[in-house]
Amino acid sequence: MARDYDHLFKLLIIGDSGVGKSSLLLRFSDNTFTGSYITTIGVDFKIKTVNIHGQKVKLQIWDTAGQERFRTITSTYYRGTHGVIVVYDVTNGESFANVKRWLHEIEQNANINMEYLTVGNKNDTPERKVVLTEDAQRFADTMNIQLFETSAKDNINVEEMFMAITRLVLRSKLDMQERQNDRTQNDTVNLRKTNKQGRKKCC
Amino acid sequence: MYATKQPSLRIKQADLKCKNGCGYFGNADWDGYCSKCYRNQMEKERQKKSKQSQQGDHSKATSFSKFEEKKRQQSDKKTKYFLPVFRKTSSLKETGRPEKYIDIRQMNPDADKLLAEFISAYGEWGEAVRKDFLKCVQSFTSKIIHELDLKSVEELADIAQNYYQLYNNRLNNNAVYQSVTPEVRDKLLDFFERYSMVSLYTFLFCPPSTNDEEKDLSIQDRIRKLSWVNAHHLDCCISETSLEVRDLVYTAINDLLGMDSMKAPQEKLACVVRCCRSVVEVLQHCQGGPVSADEFLPALIFIVLKANPARLKSNMLYVTRFCYGARLMQGEAGYYFTNLCCAVSFIENLTAESLNMPQQEFEAYMSGEVTCVSAWESALVACEGMHQLCEHLSLLKGLSERMTAVRDDTQKLKDDMHRLKEEINDKVTSVLERTPLVIQPRKTILPLTMEFLKSLPPLPDKVEGAASDEVDTAPKYYQQNITMNQMGLSNPKPKLQLDITPCVSLPSASEVKPSLSTEFLTVASPAVDKSLDSITPDDNSYLGLSKINYDIDFSDISAENSIIEDLGESRRSPTMSFTPDPFSPMGTGCTIMQSPLVPSAAEMPRAEDPPARKNDFVLPFLEEIEKEGTSEETLLDKVEETPTICLPPPIKPTEYTGFSKQGSKIPSIPCNTGDFSSLNSTPNAGSSKDTN
Repeated sequence: MARDYDHLFKLLIIGDSGVGKSSLLLRFSDNTFTGSYITTIGVDFKIKTVNIHGQKVKLQIWDTAGQERFRTITSTYYRGTHGVIVVYDVTNGESFANVKRWLHEIEQNANINMEYLTVGNKNDTPERKVVLTEDAQRFADTMNIQLFETSAKDNINVEEMFMAITRLVLRSKLDMQERQNDRTQNDTVNLRKTNKQGRKKCC
Repeated sequence: MYATKQPSLRIKQADLKCKNGCGYFGNADWDGYCSKCYRNQMEKERQKKSKQSQQGDHSKATSFSKFEEKKRQQSDKKTKYFLPVFRKTSSLKETGRPEKYIDIRQMNPDADKLLAEFISAYGEWGEAVRKDFLKCVQSFTSKIIHELDLKSVEELADIAQNYYQLYNNRLNNNAVYQSVTPEVRDKLLDFFERYSMVSLYTFLFCPPSTNDEEKDLSIQDRIRKLSWVNAHHLDCCISETSLEVRDLVYTAINDLLGMDSMKAPQEKLACVVRCCRSVVEVLQHCQGGPVSADEFLPALIFIVLKANPARLKSNMLYVTRFCYGARLMQGEAGYYFTNLCCAVSFIENLTAESLNMPQQEFEAYMSGEVTCVSAWESALVACEGMHQLCEHLSLLKGLSERMTAVRDDTQKLKDDMHRLKEEINDKVTSVLERTPLVIQPRKTILPLTMEFLKSLPPLPDKVEGAASDEVDTAPKYYQQNITMNQMGLSNPKPKLQLDITPCVSLPSASEVKPSLSTEFLTVASPAVDKSLDSITPDDNSYLGLSKINYDIDFSDISAENSIIEDLGESRRSPTMSFTPDPFSPMGTGCTIMQSPLVPSAAEMPRAEDPPARKNDFVLPFLEEIEKEGTSEETLLDKVEETPTICLPPPIKPTEYTGFSKQGSKIPSIPCNTGDFSSLNSTPNAGSSKDTN
């Protein structure tokens, strides 16, 4: 089909409220920072097309509400999600403590192919930083996830972080396709079933 | 036949058949219809009732629909119960059924409209595309209808999703659609969904086999109970007092409410998107910057709580089931719909904890014990119409007060005008009476001796028109004056024609021959005064007389009459040229028609005055002026003061500056003093006529 992209991925940004989820999104999609820009659609829904290994990947990134009270209902957001970005605030220890809870929630709602990484935002004022990089890295290693420290305000590491999650998701998808292809080659009995599955998955 | 020979106790075979005459067996439980016909009948009734209930009272409608729901569920249970039996027969005798359903579909006006739209929009892609599209829709709808009784809604939803996918594949792979551009393919897929769903709406929306309607009622009830929740409780920054924000909130609420009236899932989604965009706009207004989901979701919850949309759950389930799946998981519509689902699920699971308030307080609110504060706050939003109504009412009240004030002032003005007119008439009459009208020629015109003057015999009355013609010659003019004199004396209501030529440059005092006797001047001057009597009060009541340049020097003559004094000092500037005689032949004709003058009643009280005045006129003026001034002052003060008070400021400048300008241009000001009709009309018209 003649479309302007090869892959379409849905990413989710989660994390406590006020950690700068929207700012990250805004920085990435519009290269602006909160305060100077009035959007027409709203920050909470953004689309950006990136190029990875010569493949056009269209990302649509959904912002979520991070308040404690909405935690139980946000599972709806996970439907059809390919990648999740868990954000905490490096100047707020509590938000980092909550990362574990968020990761737990991902595991509860995740479909098998979902990729995720964690991001420490607001990494621009060292004197206010309370979550040390070493601690965070140690935690990330134990959970076996990638860690990024970013600043939406100073535009540090934002692009890299989004590209990383995109690569993760893309690789996961390609691996999956490969596996399916292998299976179809090896097992003729399952042909119809897998075909059907593939059709459903198509974006 | 055999059946007829059966004993009467036995039921005839015809009695067992469907009342509709479709050939299938009917059932007493289904009002004598077969299952299909009964279902149709029920659907029709339901449609009718839903229309009625939409128009009717809401509370009634909900209670009634609840009753309906129970009834339908009962019937549905039966259907399910008997299903295995009927399934076989229906699968065996399938013929004839699709036609009937197609009829129903064709009866759907929305579907017809959509078909027309399709033809107009995609007709350019050729007959083949259209045929294939319709074929696919046909197969889809008939498939759904066949499965309607046999499968659950979820299964039907799966079928629908499969069909969407199939058609999507067909669009991309079939030769028929080779020429169609990708954008149009997307649109065709949309249209496929839209058209088939509009056709099947009555079967698939809130189907009787589900408890969707119960869910609707429960969420509606829940939201009603939560009506006390306001923006503050949700920590969302919607300022309920700003008018602009309130308008946007209402727009959002309206969009959300509009969801129920749409038929196709994508149309419903479009409503949700519109609503959410308004919410984003509201937030942008309130916090003046980009909006994040942290603020958006609470605001959306607030909007849902305030809107309390009808059949919210049914709508959402319908969209989830029958909207093309890919659309729901991506794009703006998907995002906002997901948010809406979150908002609704939040409302369903709302507890004291989620509102950050103590359990006791929450329960008090829920039970309706404590309402006052929140009720007032919600009233701020909910009863905004009332507020605006009050505002408008007070505005209208103010307006009507001003209106009456203006009307009173107008009436007052009118009365004043009337009084003024009467006074002027009185004065004119009195002046006319006291003026001997011994108008004598000036020596400039007539180098004759007084003896010759007196020796002239009185001439017969002349036609007024003739007078102006004969002005040129000095003797005739003189004669005319005498005629007038006679008229004035003999007739109590004289028809007097005066020639005043204010604007024309006349020989100044210096030019006037020194031989001019004081007598002549005194005779002539009252005439000028008279003319001024009739003109000036009107003028003066409306505008600063200083603006009017009559080119008349009153410095000398005006002294004779107090009116002129009252007209304002500015008028008496020495720059004005002296006009010794208004009757000057050199001026262009300026006629003052004093046709039927003031009725005698007005004249009577004045009757005493003239003799004394007559004497005064003959005397050299200066002292006399003072006398007259004092005597007439009271009357004139009244005349001139009242208008200035009565006139409302807004009228004054615009209406009369033009007049003053005009006044300066008008070369002559004839005064039709006797014309009452013109004076009795509007003050404006009266005054303009006076000057004309």
